[in-house]
Amino acid sequence: MKRTLQDYKSDIKPVWCPGCGDYGVLAALQKALLALEIPPEDIITVSGIGCSGRFSHFLNSYSFHGTHGRALPTAVGAKTAKPDCTVLVAGGDGDGLGIGGGHISPVARKNVDLTYILIDNRVYGLTKGQASPTTPIGTKTKTSPLGVYESTLDVLPVFLAYDVSFIARSISTNMKQMTEIMQAAITHKGMSIVYIMSPCVTFPVLKSKEMKEMYQPLPDSYDPTNKMMAFEMAYKSGPMYSGIFYQISKPTLDEQLDSDFEKATRNNKSKPYSVEEVLNGFA
Amino acid sequence: MNDINYRSKLDFIIRVGGEGGDGVISCGELFASAAARTENHVFTYITYPAEIRGGFSMIQIRVRDWTIYSMGSKVDYLIVFNQEAYDHTIHDLKPGGVVIYDPDHVQIQKDLEAKFYPIPLTKLAVDLTGGVLGKNVVALGALGELFQVNKKGLHKLLKDRYGQKGDVVVEKNLKLLEAGYSAGKKNKLEKKFHLKTETDSKHNFMMLSGNEAVALGAIAAGCRFVAGYPITPATPIFETLTKLMPKVGGRAIQVEDEIAAISAIIGASFAGEKTITPTSGPGLQLMGEQLNLASMVELPIVIVDVQRGGPSTGLPTKTEQSDLKYAIYGTFGESPRIIIAPSSVEDCFYQTIRAFNLAERFQMPVIILTDQSIGYRKATVQIPDVSNMVAVKREQKSGKIVVPTAGRIEIASRAIANSAELVDYKRFLDNAKTGISPITIPGMAGGQYLATGLEHTEDGKANYTPEVHKQMTRKRFRKLTRLSAILEKNPKEYYGSTKTKIGIIGWGSTEGAIREARYIAEKKGIKIRQLHPKVISPLPETKIRHFLMGLKQVIVVEENYTGQFAHFIKAKFGVVPIEIHKYEGIPITPQEIYAGILKVARIVDEENITRL
Ligand SMILES: Cc1ncc(C[n+]2csc(CCOP(=O)(O)OP(=O)(O)O)c2C)c(N)n1
Ligand code: SF4
Repeated sequence: MKRTLQDYKSDIKPVWCPGCGDYGVLAALQKALLALEIPPEDIITVSGIGCSGRFSHFLNSYSFHGTHGRALPTAVGAKTAKPDCTVLVAGGDGDGLGIGGGHISPVARKNVDLTYILIDNRVYGLTKGQASPTTPIGTKTKTSPLGVYESTLDVLPVFLAYDVSFIARSISTNMKQMTEIMQAAITHKGMSIVYIMSPCVTFPVLKSKEMKEMYQPLPDSYDPTNKMMAFEMAYKSGPMYSGIFYQISKPTLDEQLDSDFEKATRNNKSKPYSVEEVLNGFA
Repeated sequence: MNDINYRSKLDFIIRVGGEGGDGVISCGELFASAAARTENHVFTYITYPAEIRGGFSMIQIRVRDWTIYSMGSKVDYLIVFNQEAYDHTIHDLKPGGVVIYDPDHVQIQKDLEAKFYPIPLTKLAVDLTGGVLGKNVVALGALGELFQVNKKGLHKLLKDRYGQKGDVVVEKNLKLLEAGYSAGKKNKLEKKFHLKTETDSKHNFMMLSGNEAVALGAIAAGCRFVAGYPITPATPIFETLTKLMPKVGGRAIQVEDEIAAISAIIGASFAGEKTITPTSGPGLQLMGEQLNLASMVELPIVIVDVQRGGPSTGLPTKTEQSDLKYAIYGTFGESPRIIIAPSSVEDCFYQTIRAFNLAERFQMPVIILTDQSIGYRKATVQIPDVSNMVAVKREQKSGKIVVPTAGRIEIASRAIANSAELVDYKRFLDNAKTGISPITIPGMAGGQYLATGLEHTEDGKANYTPEVHKQMTRKRFRKLTRLSAILEKNPKEYYGSTKTKIGIIGWGSTEGAIREARYIAEKKGIKIRQLHPKVISPLPETKIRHFLMGLKQVIVVEENYTGQFAHFIKAKFGVVPIEIHKYEGIPITPQEIYAGILKVARIVDEENITRL
């Protein structure tokens, strides 16, 4: 039986404001999963807390909606315990770059094979409009009534510095690009981040119209294995680029742990030791 | 022959003290290993400074021809490397005890009632090797002479320990050992006990630390995933599991902090694995928010808190039983969890298995509370017989699963939804009797569900209505009620006289010290009833009321300042206990507890005043 988009939707309807960019991101993800024909029961989705953090509610998968900022380490555990599953993580800029920002580097260093959809609206949506790490300097929000004074986080260069093995950026209005990138990200072996600009219509720090004008696809000749070039393109602001900035191949956590198993059981014909044998090792 | 009336022919306590980095601990551990090869039982207690070098460090070893319950009270033999160690420990020496000391580094008080033997440990080491590092092996040799330890046995232990460093190092150590033996001979050490005869009859025993026992218990229980972040004094559990996991086909990861550690084990549990994270107080505190997420999404996880002195960074390398309230009530909201406190090194193994059984069956977090003293304690324990370990069937009722003991180990796993339950599957189905719902794991077609930390309906959808919050709160807590009912039917956890007016209650690592104090009291004619629950929360209330029946005074012993378990008992059962607290970073001794019992006995029974 051929699967349809419906197979990737849960029976819970999204509760976002009409016009919220997150609708597009969710639709793109469902399309990508359908295109890859991944059985829903083999998908684990972990999302954070925020408007975007609700992603897990709307997907038909093994879905986990945990706490603010902790989606990534939760997903690491899930992937390590069930390496055959496709593991997706979704959350906002506050969730992933603010409270949870410390978790990105360790997961990148382990190169855990998961896909992180990071949805940036440059504001805290769910808590009704406070400044986030990506709110531009000078913006007036409820927690910065006289304007944000902290410098804005340059997100892509940070990911590059962490050597995340797949880094892409897209915008919530470009369905085709998002879907293609997501497919590539899910297929990628290792940690992939799909960083998506997605306007909040209720607290419009990032505006849809401006966003569409601001971003242009990376040139066809662009080589995503060249890190220095990736840094250069990631810092460009006129225009800003979208597409796959960086993709390299390096061992995943799963592969490393498999090789640990091989080493540890070399003298036992690559078979796990029994509990009895382990106990005898202490006697 | 019962425990109380057993008269030991051999029962002594040695303490080796010096500066951190002196090799005090390895000297003591090697001696303990040698003693464990004889007919006797061995029990060690270690305290060391938080710094790698410097500071007072010591190991205490008790050797006995019968089961050892505690580290004992006063010391028979003292081996001190420096003045600080001498000053710290001399007041713990029994009258007439033996002191072996380095005369170049220790000034003794000649007027003390003790036998002093000067052995220039440092000088001998320097003369032989040019360095001071070998003085601990000289001390080991002196101990060897003192107890006539089989020299070949010690040779083998030294080879095992230093073999990796090459033959030259081993040779050097054998010479140092020999120097210790001769120095002992020259001093004409008075020999009271001998550990001459090595034996094979104890082949079914091994020396294990409490931390190792927890790690092995986890492996036996089928745990195949650990995530952790190093913290004293829990690190050895994490290190042991990290070493063992790849061998048994499991996985171990070190992560960026304790929040990540508990997140990862929740994620792995969601994915179907039995999971554990070892930590200590500061780590448990960081885990708070995720701990009650696990309660909310009803996933089994096991957390071990090897308690240390607090608050804050506190006393990282010292013992305390002060995380109980946080474990039971800590974190916001009301989130059910199970608290287990093992009472001995051996018990660490079995209670860890029990922790997994309960976590899996009741789908909630279990916190195992041990402490530094039991974690670092080494004891001779019977090698668990896992050959007849059985996996219980899904249909087996939780109440029928035995409490794991040396006699029988049953391993439980979560009740995976069957095909009937998958029709119109409700992950959080409100079972009116048990509160426990059928669970699925990724990969199972038709079992997809949403686990959300938001309040949710039986089918997992977010819902904040009064009815749903009320229903689901009751459902989550019903599991604890159910467990409590099962505990009522488990073997009772109190012993001692049934005809007495004095009861004594403890929890965790103090069981042996309390038991010995009870033995001392009973020999003096003071009858006592002792309760030591392993599952601390929830408690089997009827059973505990039964224990309390007829008692005039109840003593609660614990190693903290505020009386955390006493509060709990007071609140639950309306008794006002007499509290014995120790909060010095070191374990309470049988004599200290006995002193308390004596006072209470005087209050309870006028006759005792005249008799004692
Ligand atoms: C520990 C904790 N602190 C604070 C909050 C409150 N909180 C919920 S969502 C959120 C910010 C969400 O912003 P973002 O991640 O950008 O997502 P958005 O709503 O914009 O999609 C905050 C601060 C919380 N849930 N938990
Ligand atoms: S508040 Fe903003 S981010 Fe949240 S749902 Fe509405 S539009 Fe979307």
